[in-house]
Amino acid sequence: MDQAAIVCVDNLSYQYPRAPGLALRDINLTLRKGEFLGIIGPTGAGKTTFCLALNGIVPQFYGGRFFGRVTVAGLDTLENPIHLLAQHVAMVFQDPETQLIANTVEDEVAFALENVNAPRAEIVRRIAWALTTVRLDGKEKKHPSELSGGEKQRLAIAAALALQPEVLVLDEPTSQLDPVGSQEVFSTVRELNTRLGITVILVSHASEEMAEFVDRVAILADGQLVDMDTPARIFAQVSLLRRYAIRPPQVASFYAALQDKGIAAPYIPVTKDAAEQVYEIVRPLTQITPPAWPSQGVERAGPPLLSMRDVEYAYPDGTQALRGISLDVHAGEYVVIVGQNGAGKTTLIKHFLHLLEPESGQVLLNGQDVCTLPVSELAQRIGFVSQNPDNQIFNTTVEAEVAFALRNLGLRGAELDERVQTSLQTLGLTDYRKRHPLALPKGARARVVVAAVLAMQPQVLIFDEPTTGQDYIDAQHILDVIHQLHQAGKTVIVVTHHLHLMPGYAERVVVMGKGVIVLDAPIRQAFHAVELLRSTYLTPPQIVQFAQRIAAREQIALPILTPAELAGCIVARSEQS
Amino acid sequence: MTWRNIGSAKESLFTRLDFRSKLALLLVATCLAFLWESPKLTGALALTMLLLCLLARIQLDDVSRTLLIMLPFYAILLLTHGFFNTYVGRTTLWVAPANWWWIGGKLRLTAEGLAYGVMVIFRTLTLILTIPLVIFTTDLSTLIVGLVRMRVPYRVAFVFSATLRFLPLWFQEIQAIQEAQRLRGLAVESMNWLKRVLVYSRIAVPLILGALTRSQQIEVALAARAFSGSPKRTYLHESTLHAADYAVLFLCSSVLLVAVWLRVTTGLGRFGPAGL
Repeated sequence: MDQAAIVCVDNLSYQYPRAPGLALRDINLTLRKGEFLGIIGPTGAGKTTFCLALNGIVPQFYGGRFFGRVTVAGLDTLENPIHLLAQHVAMVFQDPETQLIANTVEDEVAFALENVNAPRAEIVRRIAWALTTVRLDGKEKKHPSELSGGEKQRLAIAAALALQPEVLVLDEPTSQLDPVGSQEVFSTVRELNTRLGITVILVSHASEEMAEFVDRVAILADGQLVDMDTPARIFAQVSLLRRYAIRPPQVASFYAALQDKGIAAPYIPVTKDAAEQVYEIVRPLTQITPPAWPSQGVERAGPPLLSMRDVEYAYPDGTQALRGISLDVHAGEYVVIVGQNGAGKTTLIKHFLHLLEPESGQVLLNGQDVCTLPVSELAQRIGFVSQNPDNQIFNTTVEAEVAFALRNLGLRGAELDERVQTSLQTLGLTDYRKRHPLALPKGARARVVVAAVLAMQPQVLIFDEPTTGQDYIDAQHILDVIHQLHQAGKTVIVVTHHLHLMPGYAERVVVMGKGVIVLDAPIRQAFHAVELLRSTYLTPPQIVQFAQRIAAREQIALPILTPAELAGCIVARSEQS
Repeated sequence: MTWRNIGSAKESLFTRLDFRSKLALLLVATCLAFLWESPKLTGALALTMLLLCLLARIQLDDVSRTLLIMLPFYAILLLTHGFFNTYVGRTTLWVAPANWWWIGGKLRLTAEGLAYGVMVIFRTLTLILTIPLVIFTTDLSTLIVGLVRMRVPYRVAFVFSATLRFLPLWFQEIQAIQEAQRLRGLAVESMNWLKRVLVYSRIAVPLILGALTRSQQIEVALAARAFSGSPKRTYLHESTLHAADYAVLFLCSSVLLVAVWLRVTTGLGRFGPAGL
């Protein structure tokens, strides 16, 4: 590998126009050719700004105050125009929708080449090369909307690669993808790095994948470079990561918890394989004593609150989204619905809300067919919070947003004020009541929508991907709020890809695959149905996979869900004796 | 007909033609439709276009849906011309009985009026059939290159293409906001029009803010892909006139010239008893 420096960042500081403070402060960093750097950090740490500084978009596009010097492939990012820098530094962004601009796959890849006046024969050659590299060959004539989430991001990578850049920058490319799409992107990027020697800079919250794939990890927080080293050293500092709202890999959390119990591992491993090696070292010193796990969920008596009976639904283009779905949800349950993109999860939820009507079968709320109720009336009994909070905000203050539904219910005066106040208090939004909702951080915007829905006092609350695009702390916060609502008696249904966040909250897991329910089981059972989850392109949390390896090694049952649970099963031998 | 239909037709002679030749065909068909007032000739023109559509293997579902929507409009056209086109109306087919209040003895249905109505229907049919013939058989990318070759500034052609790409996303966003409002107890279905307008106006705030955020994201994505809006660029797709294109261009211009010459010298295509 050529060890020459390809990216040099010297004392970089940057302030956006009209921003009160610096977005980046005194960053110094050098990257060698062919290196794979991961960047982690909480929301608002300056990760995206840093990425944009590498191809001159910061400050050439945004303006603002720029200090220090950034050179990429020997080009100063202040002195060279963006379109020239773009030939050396390619970027892939978070949202697949807003970065794909052409109407076919091949046009998408050709776009940048056309912009730099590449001859037609060369464009044709590079399209074939880029699409083969990301395994999208054969899809040249497809419209981007016909691709899956993972394929869209791989197309964005192909489009970036077409210019054959020395540096590839990816800003949270997997945050909106299901586990399979995410895995597709990570493996593609790793391959580009090792096979083609492209220098990669990748921003992500996916700690487990980062620990597995990157050469070095940089922690950015509050615009500063806090630390930069190998993943083995960075991810082993569990308390440091938690201080900066970064989720450590689950195996690292597990060994840190063991350390807290006085069982010292020689080092804190950060990958599954390393965790197994360390386990072999600590094994003679420890003993596993799995407690008696609670039995398989709570038997619910009486008629269900929500019920689906043999529901079939196909979209106008012929896609069969639901195939004979039957599902009962009882009052007070907390149900998680999981499944790959396109499994039919959102379609199922839309039937509960009467946004869609089944072609055959029935959807019942308290025994009443929901199709007999207008959406607006049903909404008072089933509250819905969708994935993108911004599409659900249409008032100019937080207070007005929360009051919106109540006014529709005919509430006025003191009663309305009281309901608004209660809802704001429950979600910790009282201080924001006069602020514009869209001016709040993303985590707070999501809470505004929950408060607005909650004000209607619905019996059932449905959340569609509530943690997508949120950092660890914001995701935890929103799940805590949902948990509180469940504890207060609400029936909760959550659709998610983030399986690792659900233990401790959900009771029951419904796994969907291609329009059918493939498993409906208590969470402990569902998370350990590894083969079944894999068949629907879902990956169980890392700690579950690790526990299964230990279970196989020790020939015991170990249906744990969290690092803390696994640590709780292991005691020092002396302690045991 | 929607944006999705652009370039949707199967491989045929028309998909191989250059966009400019097809545009010439559209222009000539439009000129002929307005040059001729004879129902026979305009009928023949509409029939020719239908045959060309079939030859071009165009999925006629959307076209027939458009025609279905147009049916009431055609009925109105026919009746309006039949009863009220006094400019051409000569031969009475039916008169309102004298004892009918106000219109009795005055309201007449004429053969010429009906024929004129039929001619106008054929005229619109020609346009309805020719537009898909051009648009459905042209790949969007080729269409853009074709526009640029016709000296349309690249920035304009790019905006056209980007609009087609992002318009569906924008509609999805509108739908999502409307759904969110209904899910907050807003009973739009039971509102009068004034209230509905007020409710829909609320959509503007998140929609505009969303559009602004999105357009900035797109701008950044474009900049990162070396886009500068400069017309000095190459194209993956080619827009070249082949022998078939020259033949079409020659045929189109010849037909138009002959039709104009015949109209001026012999009156062919003029509306009148002969035209019936």
